Amino acid sequence: MTEQLKIKINDQEYAANPGDTILDVVRRHEIDTIPTLCHDPKLPPYGSCYLCVVEVEGLEKLVPSCSSPVAPGMSIHTDSEKIRESRKTALELLLSNHYADCLGPCTQTCPAGVDVQGYIALMSTGRYREAVKLIKETNPLPLVCGRVCVRECETACRRNLVDDRVGIDYLKRYAADVDIENPWVPDLPMRDGGKVAIVGGGPAGLTCAYFLTLKGHKPTIFESSPKLGGMLRYGIPEYRLPKALLDREIKWITDLGVEVKTGAKVGEAFSLQSLKESGFDAIFLAMGAQKAKTMGVDGEEKIEGVLGGIDFLRGMQAPEPPKIYGTVVVVGGGNTAVDAARTSLRIGAEKVVILYRRTMKEMPAHQMEIDAAAEEGVEMRFLSAPVSIVAKDGRLEALRCIRMELGEPDASGRRSPVPIKGSEYDLPAAFVISAIGQDIDLAAIDKESGLTTTRQKTIAVDKASFAASIPGVFAGGDVTTGPAVAIDAIAHGRAAASAIDQYIRTGKTASAAKDFISRKDAFGEIPESEFLQVQRIEKEKMSELPVKERTGSQVEVEVGFTESQVINETGRCLECGCLAYFDCDLRKYATAFGVDISKFIGNTRKHHIDATHPFITLDPNKCINCGRCVRTCSEIVQISALGFVYRGFKSVVKPSMEKPLLQTTCISCGNCISACPTGAIMEKLPFRKPGPWAFEDKESVCSFCSVGCALSYRVFHDGLFTVSNVNGTSHNKGYLCAKGRFGYRYMMDEKRLLKPMIRRRGEWHETTWDEALSYTATRLTAIAKSSGADSIAAFASPKLTNEELYLLQKFVRVGLKTNNIGSFANLVNGAGQDALDSMFGLTVSTATMDDLRKADVIMVINADPSEDNLIAELKIKAAVKRGTKVVTVTSSEIPLVRFSDLWIDSKRGTNTALINGICKAILENGWEDTSFIEKRTEGYEAFKTSMGPFDKGSVSEITGVKREKLERLFQLVGDPKANVAVVYSVDSLWEKSKNDLKAIGNLMMLSGRIGKPGNGIIILRDFANSQGLLDMGVDPAYLPGYVRPGDTARVGALEELWGVALQDIFKPVNLKDAMERDQIKGLIVFGEDPLFATSNLRLTGGADFMVVADSFMTATALEADVVLPASLPIETEGTFTACDRRVQATAKIFEPRSGMENWQILEALAEKMHIALTPQGTSLIGEEIRKAVPLYGKRAAGGCWGSGLLEKTFMTPNGLGRFAVFDVDVTPHSGEKNRHLFDENYFSLNIRGKVTA
Amino acid sequence: MKTIKVGLGTCGVSAGGDKTYEAIKHEIEQKNIQAIVKETGCNGMCYREPLMEVIDEDRNSYMYGEVTPERARRIISEHVVDGTPVDEWVVQGVKPTEDDLFFKKQKRIVLRNCGIINPNSIEEYMAAGGYQANRKILKESTPEQVIETITASGLRGRGGGGFLTGVKWRFCRQSSGDVKYIICNADEGDPGAFMDRSTLEGDPHSVLEGMMICAYAIGAGEGYIYVRAEYPKAVQRLRDAIRQLLEKGFLGTHIFGSDMNFFIRIKEGAGAFVCGEETALIASIEGKRGMPRFRPPFPAQSGLWGKPTNINNVETYANVPWIITNGAEAFSSMGTENSKGSKVFALAGKILRGGLAEVPMGITINEIVYEIGGGIKGDKKFKAVQMGGPSGGCIPASMGDLRIDYQQINKTGAIMGSGGLVVMDETTCMVDMAKFFLRFTQDESCGKCTFCRIGTTRMLEILERITDGKGEESDIPLLQHLAYQIKNNSICGLGQTAPNPVLTTLKYFPEEYEAHIRHKKCPAHSCPALLTYTILEDACKGCMACAKACPVEAISGEKKKVHTINQALCIRCGKCFESCKLSAVLKD
Repeated sequence: MTEQLKIKINDQEYAANPGDTILDVVRRHEIDTIPTLCHDPKLPPYGSCYLCVVEVEGLEKLVPSCSSPVAPGMSIHTDSEKIRESRKTALELLLSNHYADCLGPCTQTCPAGVDVQGYIALMSTGRYREAVKLIKETNPLPLVCGRVCVRECETACRRNLVDDRVGIDYLKRYAADVDIENPWVPDLPMRDGGKVAIVGGGPAGLTCAYFLTLKGHKPTIFESSPKLGGMLRYGIPEYRLPKALLDREIKWITDLGVEVKTGAKVGEAFSLQSLKESGFDAIFLAMGAQKAKTMGVDGEEKIEGVLGGIDFLRGMQAPEPPKIYGTVVVVGGGNTAVDAARTSLRIGAEKVVILYRRTMKEMPAHQMEIDAAAEEGVEMRFLSAPVSIVAKDGRLEALRCIRMELGEPDASGRRSPVPIKGSEYDLPAAFVISAIGQDIDLAAIDKESGLTTTRQKTIAVDKASFAASIPGVFAGGDVTTGPAVAIDAIAHGRAAASAIDQYIRTGKTASAAKDFISRKDAFGEIPESEFLQVQRIEKEKMSELPVKERTGSQVEVEVGFTESQVINETGRCLECGCLAYFDCDLRKYATAFGVDISKFIGNTRKHHIDATHPFITLDPNKCINCGRCVRTCSEIVQISALGFVYRGFKSVVKPSMEKPLLQTTCISCGNCISACPTGAIMEKLPFRKPGPWAFEDKESVCSFCSVGCALSYRVFHDGLFTVSNVNGTSHNKGYLCAKGRFGYRYMMDEKRLLKPMIRRRGEWHETTWDEALSYTATRLTAIAKSSGADSIAAFASPKLTNEELYLLQKFVRVGLKTNNIGSFANLVNGAGQDALDSMFGLTVSTATMDDLRKADVIMVINADPSEDNLIAELKIKAAVKRGTKVVTVTSSEIPLVRFSDLWIDSKRGTNTALINGICKAILENGWEDTSFIEKRTEGYEAFKTSMGPFDKGSVSEITGVKREKLERLFQLVGDPKANVAVVYSVDSLWEKSKNDLKAIGNLMMLSGRIGKPGNGIIILRDFANSQGLLDMGVDPAYLPGYVRPGDTARVGALEELWGVALQDIFKPVNLKDAMERDQIKGLIVFGEDPLFATSNLRLTGGADFMVVADSFMTATALEADVVLPASLPIETEGTFTACDRRVQATAKIFEPRSGMENWQILEALAEKMHIALTPQGTSLIGEEIRKAVPLYGKRAAGGCWGSGLLEKTFMTPNGLGRFAVFDVDVTPHSGEKNRHLFDENYFSLNIRGKVTA
Repeated sequence: MKTIKVGLGTCGVSAGGDKTYEAIKHEIEQKNIQAIVKETGCNGMCYREPLMEVIDEDRNSYMYGEVTPERARRIISEHVVDGTPVDEWVVQGVKPTEDDLFFKKQKRIVLRNCGIINPNSIEEYMAAGGYQANRKILKESTPEQVIETITASGLRGRGGGGFLTGVKWRFCRQSSGDVKYIICNADEGDPGAFMDRSTLEGDPHSVLEGMMICAYAIGAGEGYIYVRAEYPKAVQRLRDAIRQLLEKGFLGTHIFGSDMNFFIRIKEGAGAFVCGEETALIASIEGKRGMPRFRPPFPAQSGLWGKPTNINNVETYANVPWIITNGAEAFSSMGTENSKGSKVFALAGKILRGGLAEVPMGITINEIVYEIGGGIKGDKKFKAVQMGGPSGGCIPASMGDLRIDYQQINKTGAIMGSGGLVVMDETTCMVDMAKFFLRFTQDESCGKCTFCRIGTTRMLEILERITDGKGEESDIPLLQHLAYQIKNNSICGLGQTAPNPVLTTLKYFPEEYEAHIRHKKCPAHSCPALLTYTILEDACKGCMACAKACPVEAISGEKKKVHTINQALCIRCGKCFESCKLSAVLKD
């Protein structure tokens, strides 16, 4: 250890190690959060993004902290104006060449910021409730908005550039309609906030009340009208928004704990002052714009038959609705005018005319409403304006109008109408409804209050916080803007709630920093050509009530979508928003530094998106050239499928030779995905529409191979998840292989079994857990009774957790009272699974993965880690970089060969002879470790003699390996000064001869390489818990913890623990033999699929009854009598033991969709069979495992059991390692290997198959 | 017997030298004339190429310029055969000529053999004293002594950095490790610079000898020459030279009977400017993308394949044998206090005598421009020199008395660089000039660092805006802001210096920027978008020449009547201006 040095950071002294970068020290001591994009702690320093710059005293320039080494006495500052400016500029430059949308235009445009893409994606998977939940994060009124919203989102929809907008609003309505029957209710926090008075129960007030409730406040709504709803109730007609629905949505909000005072008018029932006095901490004013604007013609206020538009609509909600007859002239072109016109038609008008002073093009009303009105027969008279009232006896006779023509455009861009002189005419009418707008009535607000108003007579507020001029008073909705739309009011209500919350809790009303949002349209107009590849899909049409049925009725006109329409319409979404939205570092920093996207807008690269890879999408438009993917691919995985192309501004990351990724050397490990700090490299998620959704990363461990990689399940919603390799501190540094990264998809396969099934007369019937288990119990009990306990056998998958395996073997041994417990994986494939038992006392890896780093020589034999255990291979490659020599023994040119110093291409099945040859060479050269042999082993002399025939010449002849190569092999592996680790796969069959592992055991004892750091054997296995399966005693040869029949003390300990006598139960058995001789009548198969290979029928065929627990209908399940839907690895807690004895917890991510965790299935079955199976629950089982297997109690660093295993003594009865003497059989042991597990077969078919086809 | 030499460097060949050479050989053979015909490299007078030198029996040299095959035949018949020099074509000979001035103030160390010896002949190099230095140090000096000599000479790296060569060698020598490398950087990439090319083409052995001395000094067993593939002639000359060395046993094991073992490999670069940067060059030799990395560690600590590595450029190495032979004192006596020896410059631009000149440090800009270069072409005013290529900057004519050395030039904001010197007259727009060099660097950026990759592009866009007449007041502070940020936030020299042309022009010619932005005018009348062409009524005779020349028919007017230009149609191509013989078209 070199001496530490002292440096100063932000004027405080810290210790640093020589070789540390400034960033290392700052992060280790958590001094500051220095932003980085190109930095990856797992890779050598790079320094390209220049975000991490800091000041070093004495240097004029800033330095990148990620790549600047510390020096003694250095004084560093991590934050200053200069640093911030520099970082901000870096981000602005990066973002000036980042042609991408953070959010879809729909969400960006929505005043309330509703996550449109997110809820459409949820709806596409049928998750309507979650869609509503998502909508209600920003808008608590989807039932209302799904009907009456002005849909700015749809206008902005990018799909307009393809064919037609997505029917966003109708989709929202569908979700809201489905959910309303049994609505989602939010979890409410403690009510520890303040009291807030909300004046006005319209959309602004309701929304504000809702969000205040969610933040723990106590809102009270004061409403002057008899009911809540404001303009939603009193301004929108029934046929557009049924009031029963409005009531339900309002009730849903008020039921959360909102106090309501109706009939309480400001200025009458209370004043601002009185509210304050009665203890309200804040007041939100949202009275709306209630007063109908007058036409400004003489006499309109006094003449009978002249009505205000909003008054008329409000009247519709009164007990006595207005009586209308004859001709109705509605003046105005807005939504209120159209609503009034269509309402008049429904309540008795013979003829309705809309009078508008401009043309239809200028009408502010929604086009859909205008069209519907025309369809229903409303007449529209354009370019006419009222001049005066023609009345008789105080009753309206006609409206005098004047014709107009369009003049120059006004400030709003609309051409202003100009009267044509002398063109007056009379329009006879029984009623004139003036719907030209509303005013705000602030008269009731007490003048003395000191509330500032604007020239437009609205309440003046701060645009971000909605704070009015009086502290503690806020205002929103129409009362601050004049008549506007519901979604604006909703947006105000939510923003005001945040501000009020902040005001109450902190006394301040500062507005929060605005999220940075990158927008494609900031770089100029988006060309339609960008969408040439998009398939045209016709927009779904909303069914409507026939026109005939509309007049005279208030029934809702729009009928709503069907579910199939929803499926089609959600499929039309273009998914404009970035899938990395929730974890993009670039966006996070851009927000933090207040980046101005427009500062450096200039040329922008536009790239084609490569979506040809089945699992990885490359969007170079989002690439910021940080090179993390390139470096990961070339320096860690060492595949170099990605690289930089071009120079200068045009340089960008592309697959090598600019080919599609799929056509490169890419091995689909997906480590580039996690390396990318933006959305340039993304996983193509297996959902119809992939979100983006907010997520939670839940750390767990991979359930595929035996390397035991830490990973995270990235959970979006219930049942929707992916795998992320975020955990860089794990032993695999977060790196994963294709299996770990993409193999999880089998868990979401729709063929998943969810219900127990019983087969009767050859037919499968779904049934209940109770029946399936009772039936199974009955059959098993009967077999045991008739044919004896030993006629039942159970088999377990090496993918089950230790807890499940332990419980199962206990169930079999203690409950069923037989020793017939094993696994087909070992029974069928299991060559050498126990090879070292007689030599070392047990067959496990003597070294751990960490030893690879310390080895001088690694010999990989009978293994193809790039195919089966990629992360083990990455560790080997990393060792090579540090100077370790690698010898690969394999008959075929596997990828690792390229990274090896020596490739021994021995003939298949001759490796026992090869290893013996090494032993012989060691003996000949006197390289053996005599002291180790003497002190720690026995049987040496016999072994030595047995090595006689394996001289170089003979070995060369047997193995087909040239003598010179053998010579090099002997030098490398035999060198007594070198640390040598052997990596061997026990499941990789085809290279093998029968006694390879025994020969390796001899070799390692001969050279004294057992229990010595940097030396030893690593036995790779195919499945996540292959090692745990042995440790848990799922093998007739021994009880948990490798307790063998002769070991009376330890058998006794287990007898005591289990409360059972084992002498009649725990006895040797040959399961294969018993099955082949049809002695097994009852079979329990947990998670395995032996019949995937039909040859195994000779084993299972003799059973009268078979129960299979599995998550899928496997070949074996199909042959069973009962199938129990097993839980998935993500549906239970427990532990897996990796190949190097690393015991790691796997997390329960979801509740089991089938209803039962595997341990519960066993417990329930036991109960049905009247067996008391304890303990219950995974943590208690785990506790018992630690008692039953004391090795699990004490673990070394990294969680490997057997700290110091074999270091001083072997696990044999006398503690000595025993050299093995055996015949050398040079015929290959077996051919192909069968995986026998659904997920493995799924992987090779659906994951590997897709990338190698 | 007379000797005829023809300059067949790339400059000579591109001026037609190879045709002249062939013609001479043909003529000599055909007519069976007794003369030796040889090729040689460039002597620096590129402005007179093709060059033919006749050396008579009395060793009098007559240098002929602009020798076409026809001229060559006359020279052969009159001079070679008849012994009468063709005086009218002699640019340098026995009688004084105007061109003598070109050489008068030069001090040729690096170029000592260029244009004199046959570069293909190791014998000629050795006859000129070549490999004596190498032999000498192997016999007489320890590596430390060699380093001491180089340090004492005050030689600085001629690639642009100007770091003391001896100090650099010492760092590398002191780095621990058995395996060390040396690299010769021949990736000359500045636009308009060709010092290294000429040296390699004219005298490759001087560079190789310099490398061998360096290898001995730092203890390297292997050397690489990283040379541009676009210099095929230089590559060929190097290959031939290395072959000759191997044949003679001067390379390999036990060189000159000593314990020194040394090998040299050639690595052809693919023409990326950034690969002239040490760490990018190393990455490129290693087979990786040519991208610089952050230093430390410096190559002297961890360079090629992670081993201590010394990198110098062609000119630096070429100086080394001379210093060993002539002593540190001879070298250090030349130049200024902190810049010793000579420097080769490639003179280009609006100068009368453009070519390669090696001058002692401390010479003034005016001496180079007016004496060596013969002043400005045509009747124009000297405005500025651009030094140091795209990484350099502009020095205004008003600073013409500046003595050239590393310190003085750095003070101006320009840099010595590798020796590019572009002379500009009053018709050069300084904004446009800055734009030219910035376009080069932004194009050649490797793309690694944010500021260099995107920042230079944004600066270039601003300059384009300004020369297009769309500049705004805020553009100058924005340029300054970006320039400052780019200089501070780039890993390598390319990015750190890329803003220099902009910064120096902003410093010395702010009024030109302001004219473009505020008045939408280009004072040098060079930016097309800012020009207006009008016809002076008094001068126009209605000859129709301009109307015919106009490609867009923007000029109307009858014969013999005053023409007018329709400004709405005019595309500002300047054809009318060029075609008018009466100077009746006003460009403003």
